[in-house]
Amino acid sequence: MWAMYLANYFVAGCIASSLLGWLASLHPTSFRAIAFLAAAAFVIWGLCWLLDYSVSNLLKITVSSLQAFLLAVLAAIVIGAGVFLCS
Amino acid sequence: MQLKMFVLSGAAVALWLVPLTALDKRIGWHKSMQGLSLCAAIACAVTAGNIARMQAEQNEIEEIKSHAIIADVVDEIATSTYISQQQRQQEAEQILNPREHLERSLALTYSEDGESEPIVQKQLAEPEQNGSQNDDAECAERVMQLKAKGWGKAKIILEIWGVSKGGSPKYKAAEAKYERLINGRDNND
Repeated sequence: MWAMYLANYFVAGCIASSLLGWLASLHPTSFRAIAFLAAAAFVIWGLCWLLDYSVSNLLKITVSSLQAFLLAVLAAIVIGAGVFLCS
Repeated sequence: MQLKMFVLSGAAVALWLVPLTALDKRIGWHKSMQGLSLCAAIACAVTAGNIARMQAEQNEIEEIKSHAIIADVVDEIATSTYISQQQRQQEAEQILNPREHLERSLALTYSEDGESEPIVQKQLAEPEQNGSQNDDAECAERVMQLKAKGWGKAKIILEIWGVSKGGSPKYKAAEAKYERLINGRDNND
């Protein structure tokens, strides 16, 4: 059941990424806003990798759990954006 | 709940992929349908995830409960086994060592005067010679002591001859001996 829980949230992340792509395709302004959001998220993602020990202490999780979470987020964004762009 | 979770998961994936591939982005209402279906897909996926989390927590609680019940049963069985083992050991000691009981009672009886100790040793060393008479006398004495304490017949027989109550030949023999000793003592009195 824990696997189903994680899989459903992973799918939700993928769909959210596709939704952001869809929002970006609506208007050039929304595209710029989503691009800014994506850049900010990428910077935060990289900082989390650099400061993984501090962030794991802050979130009270293990470093391996944080790294797995960051990889899952990246995979969800890539899959969601890929599905939207290829459709 | 599991069926609902699987249906929601499937619906989330379908609402995510089908409108994106089937509908045309250049048509206005298609595009709005895509957005709506993506929002609905996110809602379905999050709901299915919450249901899965609740199920997982319930399963963990059930597992903890079953572990606790099993540990309780094992503890109870171990305790009862230990107690019954102790009881069997005591009964076996009583059955196998009626002579030891007699020795103990004799030692207690004669421990106060030092001169009588050789007599006790002699009595114990030569049980075959005048054993039956001495044993009978000692048994009768012990029976009267226990009877004076208020013990019942079955308990006295168990204490002296190490035979528990029942229809066994040993118990019948012990009972007959008990009756003989009681009657003999009454006749002497």
